[in-house]
Amino acid sequence: MNQLNNGFTIFLSLLVEAMPFLLLGVLFSSLLLFFVDERKLVKVMPRNPLLGALFGSMMGVFFPVCECGNVPVARRFLTQGVPTSVAVGFLLAAPTINPIVIWSTWAAFGRDQPEIVVLRVVFSLLIATIVGFVFSFQKDLTPIVQPAIARYLKFNPAKGEAKGRSFRAGNTLLKSGTYFLGGKAGSSQIIDANAMQETMTASVSNKPLADKLGLLLENIVYELRELGAVMILGSAIAAAVQVLAPRDWIISLGSGPVSSITVMLVLAAVVSICSTVDSFFALSFASTFTSGSLLAFLVFGPMIDIKGVGLMLSIFKPKAIFYLFALAGLITFLLTLFLNLHVI
Amino acid sequence: MANQKPKPPNRLLPWLDVLAITAWGILLLYYTFSAKIYILIHEHYIPLVVISAIAILAVGFLKGRQILRRRRGDNLATVQHLMIFPPGWGGALLLTTAILGFIISPQPFSSQKALGSGVNEIFVSSRVTRVKPQEFRRASVSPEKRSLVDWVRTLNVYPEPDSYTGQKVNVQGFTIYPTELGQEYFLLARFVVTCCAADAYPIGLPVKLKENFEKFPPDTWLQVEGQMVTETIAGKRQLTIAADSLKKISQPKNPYSY
Repeated sequence: MNQLNNGFTIFLSLLVEAMPFLLLGVLFSSLLLFFVDERKLVKVMPRNPLLGALFGSMMGVFFPVCECGNVPVARRFLTQGVPTSVAVGFLLAAPTINPIVIWSTWAAFGRDQPEIVVLRVVFSLLIATIVGFVFSFQKDLTPIVQPAIARYLKFNPAKGEAKGRSFRAGNTLLKSGTYFLGGKAGSSQIIDANAMQETMTASVSNKPLADKLGLLLENIVYELRELGAVMILGSAIAAAVQVLAPRDWIISLGSGPVSSITVMLVLAAVVSICSTVDSFFALSFASTFTSGSLLAFLVFGPMIDIKGVGLMLSIFKPKAIFYLFALAGLITFLLTLFLNLHVI
Repeated sequence: MANQKPKPPNRLLPWLDVLAITAWGILLLYYTFSAKIYILIHEHYIPLVVISAIAILAVGFLKGRQILRRRRGDNLATVQHLMIFPPGWGGALLLTTAILGFIISPQPFSSQKALGSGVNEIFVSSRVTRVKPQEFRRASVSPEKRSLVDWVRTLNVYPEPDSYTGQKVNVQGFTIYPTELGQEYFLLARFVVTCCAADAYPIGLPVKLKENFEKFPPDTWLQVEGQMVTETIAGKRQLTIAADSLKKISQPKNPYSY
């Protein structure tokens, strides 16, 4: 009974602490969806692969989106002729490199282990840039992206001029600004071009403000509900592990430099908790797991998600997603292992 | 009509969202005003929770208004978002959790949890890594004004127990009876929280009882006055409070230290 009570208190405390940050993340990403015209950004993107990857990784500062928001934005970037390195860099780093996530990480770790906050940002940037750079060597995107995007790029040579009216009038198969993907999770390749999504394309600016606000509210409620529910499941897992898992077992797993990282990488993949609140999840392991492993969770978690795979299938073929995850996961493993072994 | 209207449950589902969101807004406010929030999170974040609660309520209210208006206009009918859960599950989960939050009151952690993390850890604890330099200044105030946490922090900086011998102590905490400690001692402990209850960890100092002292049950909150001595407990020299007086106090509104 006591255990159950403790578990429930931990569960609630995680939720109450995380709720403001979730709300803030949702508000921000929704506002940006509707009021920022990213085409201006597209224009200034560097074409150099390495610089591009770095630029893409840092763009999260302007697009504070969490894992669900970044995929559609990255997808649109690709169709607007943004270099692959930029899009991949953005895809991997945007959920971490943004003010709200950094703040919530600070709330969780800033007092005790400020280095986790700094290293989370540094490692995420590093990994996203490296992976983005690697992907830039694939000049022909056809083998790695979904046929719809490949076809689109073929008919709309990616030279950055795919913007403005000509773009909107273009291929109806793929609306560049589609944020909401049709169908159910996992089968999201097909874009449901309905009236509402039309209004959510980059041309949203010609809609009356009242309609925009209506859509904004719709989006806030949708994200709050879906991400909130994931957060509840994540907190329940964290609380259950704290209370139920045998302590010796957790300590022996959590203190090993390799085993702790491995466990946390697996958790990162399984628990698809939103990046704005995942630091609170990690926090509940702070006393038993190595700093490196906590960092592995915080860096890799936003990059890979079970739910993210469904979304990512709307851009990439499975093979490319596998490479993306494998590469990101391995670099995370190496960097955090170095940290655990005090190499860096 | 040849075309069937899209599924009727759609009419109720948006209301589930409104209900779930509003319930969370109310729950957060309820925790704040019933002071239960102190059991859950660092007091530092309470204003943030209040603001969020108000914002969440506003979202719920606006959404409700939107649904009512739309029913008349019925324009934006078929929006297909990418759902992580089947329709209705997300809202139901949020609502259920909020209701549970109303029914089951969060409890501060007890001595049992502290014992779970090992007495040795409590001694050594307030792990050296967790001690922040900026706290030292606060810890250097006169001995009898130090809180239990201040004492533990000071001890982390100058670990020699003898250097505190004879200093006056006046601290609050709850009682723990670890078996390792023996009959004439108990552990006066507190949980320290840096962010929320999920990262609470116990700290504590042993208290030496005089023979005629009443024995309090575990988890009793006490105000202990006395002076510092060095005792050998479980084979280790340990800074110990030799109690002159024990006063039973009620559990503080905010059971954690920071």
